[in-house]
Amino acid sequence: MTEKVLQRRLRYGEFLSAVRVKQRRVSYKEVHADAGRKPRMQRLRLVDLHRLLTPYVSLRFMEQLRAVVPLALFLALFQIAALRADVLQGELIAFGMLAVMLGLMFFMDGVKYGLMPFSENIGFNLPNRATPAVVLGFAFLLGGIATLAEPAIGALRAAGSSVDPIRAPWLHLLLTRYPDRLVMAVGLGVGLAVVVGMLRFFFAWRMKTLVIATLIPCLALTAYAGFDPRLAPIIGLAWDCGAITTGPVTVPLVLALGIGVAAAAGQEDNPLAGFGIVTLASLFPAIAVMLVAIGLVAEVPDPALLLPIVGAGDTLPWWEQTPAGELIAALRAIGPLILLLWLVQRFLLGDAIKQRNLIGYGVVVAVLGMALFNLGLTVGLIPLGNQAGATVPAAFSAGSNGAALYPYPVGIGLTLIFAATLGYGATVAEPALNAMGTTVENLTDGAFPRRLLIQTVAVGVALGIALGVSKIIFQWSMLPLLLCAYTVALGCTLLSSEEYVSLAWDSAGVTTGPVTVPLVLALGLGLGRAVGAAEGFGILAMASVGPIVSVQLVGFWIRRSAALAARQER
Amino acid sequence: MPRVRKGSEMKQRDEIVVLTDAVLITCIVQRGVADTVVDAATEAGAQGATIFYARGTGVRQKHLGVLGITVNAEKEVIYIVAPSDHADHIFERVYVAAKLDTPGMGMIYMAALEKMATYVPPEVAARFGQHD
Repeated sequence: MTEKVLQRRLRYGEFLSAVRVKQRRVSYKEVHADAGRKPRMQRLRLVDLHRLLTPYVSLRFMEQLRAVVPLALFLALFQIAALRADVLQGELIAFGMLAVMLGLMFFMDGVKYGLMPFSENIGFNLPNRATPAVVLGFAFLLGGIATLAEPAIGALRAAGSSVDPIRAPWLHLLLTRYPDRLVMAVGLGVGLAVVVGMLRFFFAWRMKTLVIATLIPCLALTAYAGFDPRLAPIIGLAWDCGAITTGPVTVPLVLALGIGVAAAAGQEDNPLAGFGIVTLASLFPAIAVMLVAIGLVAEVPDPALLLPIVGAGDTLPWWEQTPAGELIAALRAIGPLILLLWLVQRFLLGDAIKQRNLIGYGVVVAVLGMALFNLGLTVGLIPLGNQAGATVPAAFSAGSNGAALYPYPVGIGLTLIFAATLGYGATVAEPALNAMGTTVENLTDGAFPRRLLIQTVAVGVALGIALGVSKIIFQWSMLPLLLCAYTVALGCTLLSSEEYVSLAWDSAGVTTGPVTVPLVLALGLGLGRAVGAAEGFGILAMASVGPIVSVQLVGFWIRRSAALAARQER
Repeated sequence: MPRVRKGSEMKQRDEIVVLTDAVLITCIVQRGVADTVVDAATEAGAQGATIFYARGTGVRQKHLGVLGITVNAEKEVIYIVAPSDHADHIFERVYVAAKLDTPGMGMIYMAALEKMATYVPPEVAARFGQHD
């Protein structure tokens, strides 16, 4: 009997079905009837948690890692290799960088689950159900309040300490004593910009007209401020504010509303509907900040007479303010935004809120992420940028510890190459720009390929940052630089076609993300202090003009080569 | 032992070789997992696979609570046609490889096919189906 079985020829499949894992048959009818009675949370094994969470978290963490680590490494390595200076407090900075990455990861997820569902629903429904006045009012509030929730805005509050109070007294006053006024001005500017952007959808204004109509008063105001010695140091800050505002919170929230308004105004399927608001949101705050500065100069004729702020000189170790300080700051930044969205959803639209626990999760995670990011900002990003800025001048000028590292022209060249590389690398790594590149490639039917756009913008930013850094090193005045750069930009705008105008101006706003802005800002301030300049603002402003000009120039070139090709065919 | 009868008579030139004893295994997993599934199935003896992109929900909303956000609603659906005696093995390997014992990871099912047809090399077809 046994022999007979052994000799029987087995098919492989039969063998496999004999050794397989045991299957237990259960009727789905019964399981379903049982499960239908009371849905309850499954008991999860540890391995289940790992399988669920690990891919989710690692994907999001890697995204931030790719944006942050190369930049930080580049800064640190440049400092060590080219400047032969050690990175001070390396562990603390590394810890801060980790906090920045974790914070951004949580924050972006929180925005996705806590804020976007509201804003998509409101953007979709409000324009149909409310009068235009209500929509515009909401747009104004949304723009202003979303700006306060922007992660990079925290960098502005931290910038005051490095301004020379003797040579730029009003700037120092604005940053140290009235930072809330500054932030309010920026919020107001963005709010107005969003309103104008919405009006553009109602009346179908052309982007070109709008840019020119905003830019000319903006430049006029800059010129006015630039010729007033009390106001002149503030222009750099004012123009930098524009670059800070347009980040990962404002842009998607405002776009969601914009798409809804565009649909309600009967401009469905307009591929360019999304563009434009970002542009305005970087010009209006500059105007607002300059107006606030003019008001401040009128209000406080002599800042030196003011009593020093009590406790301003105290330097608490960061852990004494943490985590309570960061958490409160995060709540103050995000709370109003959530409240606004919730009130509008509940009382203007009267819609019930779906998936409460998901939204609750999003809000909690957004606040936590913001707190972590703020912590990382003060401990990691700003010190790193500051240090890099402070050590760079050693390359070309004799410091306290002896002669310059390199001969003067080499040192200057090295510094400028460093600045340009920093700008280039930071731009190429920006995820928002990548997304924009894809959109543009589709919109232009491949005439403007994604890679070309990214390269163009990155080169623009690199040149802009190099220009901004040389402004600080040589202590050039901000006014002629800004006037020249924006006049060129204006000239390009007059000659360009509508698509390239929207594209160029928006790419300037898209490039400055929440990691780049604090880093570059801190770099400028550290550099400014090290070379003895009155203030170190202006790099971001120059970094925004760069891509405006470079993208339009490439636009001309594309049109010209297309025209040439058409002529040759004929 | 299931009788193998792959093919039909070869008398006419315009005939279709129809395969029977085939089983369709369908596996639904989150976007990005399909390659794992296809690799496991190929190793277990599957000859090919078809992948669709889809969207779907299930356990995600009801039972996982906040953890539900980790489950992507974008899915991949994998079709694998296998001979009936291999199907159980492939079913098992895919189940293990796709970690389907964790909630939210997806599902797998198989069903007998009445018949299927594809390219069958003439010499293979000639070897079978002579004895009807």
